[in-house]
Amino acid sequence: MRAALAVTGASLRRVGRDRRALFFLVVLPIVVIVIVGATVRGFSTVRVGVVDLGAGRAGRSLTVAMQRAGNLDVRRYPSLDAATTAVARGEVSTAVVLPRGMSSAIRSGRAVTVAVMADRANSTQQAAAAAVASVVAEEGALVQAASFSSSQGLGSYEQDLARATTLQRRAAQVGVVTRIVDSNAQTLPQGFGYSAPTMLVLFVFLNAVASGAVIVETRRMGLYERMAAAPVRQSAIVVGETFAYFTVALGQALLIVLVGAMVFGVSWGDPLAASVLVVLWALVAAGAGVLSGTLFRTPEQAGAIGPPVGIVLGMLGGCMWPLSIVSGFMRQVGHLTPQAWAVDGWTDLMSRNGTLVSVGPELAVLAGFAAGLILLSTVRLRRVLA
Amino acid sequence: MPAPLLIAAKDLRQRLRDRSALVIGLVAPLVIAALMSVAFRGVETFHFDLGVVDADGGPVAAQLVRALHAPELSPVITVRAQDSEFRAAAAVRSRTLQAAIVIPPGFSASMTGARPEPITTLASVNNALAASITSSIVSTFTAQLDADRLSVATAVAAGAPGGRVAALAGEAAGLRIPIQLVQRPVGSRELKPVSYYSPAMALFFLLFLITFTSRSFFVERAEGMIERMRAAPIRPSEILAGKALSVLVFGTASMGVLALVTTVAFGAYWGSPAAVAVVCLAMVVSVVCLTALVIGLARTQRQAEGIASAVVFGLALLGGNFVLVSAEPDLLRRLALLTPNGWALRAFTDLATRGGGLHTVAVPVLAILAFSAVAGVAAVSLSRRAVSA
Repeated sequence: MRAALAVTGASLRRVGRDRRALFFLVVLPIVVIVIVGATVRGFSTVRVGVVDLGAGRAGRSLTVAMQRAGNLDVRRYPSLDAATTAVARGEVSTAVVLPRGMSSAIRSGRAVTVAVMADRANSTQQAAAAAVASVVAEEGALVQAASFSSSQGLGSYEQDLARATTLQRRAAQVGVVTRIVDSNAQTLPQGFGYSAPTMLVLFVFLNAVASGAVIVETRRMGLYERMAAAPVRQSAIVVGETFAYFTVALGQALLIVLVGAMVFGVSWGDPLAASVLVVLWALVAAGAGVLSGTLFRTPEQAGAIGPPVGIVLGMLGGCMWPLSIVSGFMRQVGHLTPQAWAVDGWTDLMSRNGTLVSVGPELAVLAGFAAGLILLSTVRLRRVLA
Repeated sequence: MPAPLLIAAKDLRQRLRDRSALVIGLVAPLVIAALMSVAFRGVETFHFDLGVVDADGGPVAAQLVRALHAPELSPVITVRAQDSEFRAAAAVRSRTLQAAIVIPPGFSASMTGARPEPITTLASVNNALAASITSSIVSTFTAQLDADRLSVATAVAAGAPGGRVAALAGEAAGLRIPIQLVQRPVGSRELKPVSYYSPAMALFFLLFLITFTSRSFFVERAEGMIERMRAAPIRPSEILAGKALSVLVFGTASMGVLALVTTVAFGAYWGSPAAVAVVCLAMVVSVVCLTALVIGLARTQRQAEGIASAVVFGLALLGGNFVLVSAEPDLLRRLALLTPNGWALRAFTDLATRGGGLHTVAVPVLAILAFSAVAGVAAVSLSRRAVSA
């Protein structure tokens, strides 16, 4: 046992001294969590640009109404050209053009048309235009009421607009009530609640596979032969190496969990189930890491092939996008990877308040993966040592 | 053959023999682009099936159903009639429908009363966008009903006599909301995920050349290869030119093959080939300069690997190679333009969406070259030290 721990200690010290490893272990995952978390916020909001060509008060009032609408994320653009470019690049899904003289036209009782940029065949732009339409219609209702009332000779336009605004807030309207018919959320929460668990799954595994290079280097330097010359049993070396990989993986996972919870306010769900999930994932990563150390011939191979393998498995397993958007076949293929089960586990814990019992199937599959990978890597490493 | 060509040819032979370079240069970006094109196949367009339950059967309900069939909504929704709220809810739960609208009994009749019946939309917790679009579509319709009711109420509040309410309601029913939306075409092509991520992945793995080449330089130096070269009548600048040339050829070939294969096999749209070629070349030049800079900055192979990794991942993360840069917050989008790959991705995005040729990519290419010039100038003095060390 002491020999195994000595092997672990030696491997860990090598990782600790390698600044590059620390970059991949600590800096990179956290930066990615920040960028992805800051970006993946708007599954339910539509980004809309606004160009005001001199619409006056009516234009400002419509802009405020759009900003207040819960499903629109409004960005202003200084010119038509800037807005068109932004729509083309997808920075906004559509842009609303508030025409010059909009206020005076409305006050003199003329109808105005507000342009919304959308191509017929572009469904994203059409969906955004539909979202804008309801806000414009609601704002237009006020204008209609004020114009109607003032045209009857019942007060000035401004007075009637103020009356209509008050009435719109108070009077019973034709309501639209949304009823959610299911509670079985299939996706992770948005923002950091999405990026932290998926990047934990991605990076802990990817890092372990890429750091298979350490074992390759140890083999190359003949360190294992030197160990064999000492009275150290083969099993001590295998256990020691695996434990070193497990420690690094667990440390990285715990760091992401802590930073996620304390800095980004991520709620990881039931503590017991989350802990078991983290430990099992570190075991899966340890098995894969040691295995990669026995499969690759040169450290360059491990460094070059390891990350793409980790990225591809992460993509298949739902770390880069939710598996709910892919076809049934791709979902099945995805579940051949341990990543998919880990992400499913986090989804249950974080989106459905899952418990150790409800997340049991995912944990069982991950335990199977961990056992299989560790067994395989042990057999391979023993062969390498022999 | 001139010395730089010989050195470049030797480096390229080594690279081709080393399978890891092929994995990075071709296999990995192709596999990732293929996966992305398969994964996003179903979500490239936003369209959903919307159930409608008309339990009212009255004239206002019929108007709503007609409005749902409007031509401008057909790219977004397909309307499916449902018998009952129960069935519609079950269909939303089983994902046969993405959302549904229930028009309650007595809806049309309630329009003239003080308490109009509300319309219910049925939504799934897994499809927030379909839920919000459905609500918007229904609200756009109900807004006209509300506008008419509000017009009468405002007139009454302003002092219209009670006896005129019915007449006012009749007049208001003929009104049309005076702010109308008209669609103006953008005239651009929709940016498909595969058209964004194919160049993004090709560029990401192109950046890996920085790690590879700087590493191999220090390995060769440790093995005494550089000293042996210097023993021959070759100037340090020729050694550097040879190294740069090999990166140039390998990088250009890798980008070219990826553009071709992702276009033919996965339906990625890159845009004008001439403009694409110019952006690729500019990017390869910046990779050459960055490689020289890393070699200049590092003193050992380990240092070179560390600096190169930080440069590669730093640029890829900031530039938008992993996340659709358009969807990022303003600050991150501005930061992306501090990187050459961020400019290259902007050029590829513009080519894929707005088309055009060399003039479309002029500004990005100049920006990439300016970045390369800064890195290159810094590298030149430092690199001389590395070769003569």
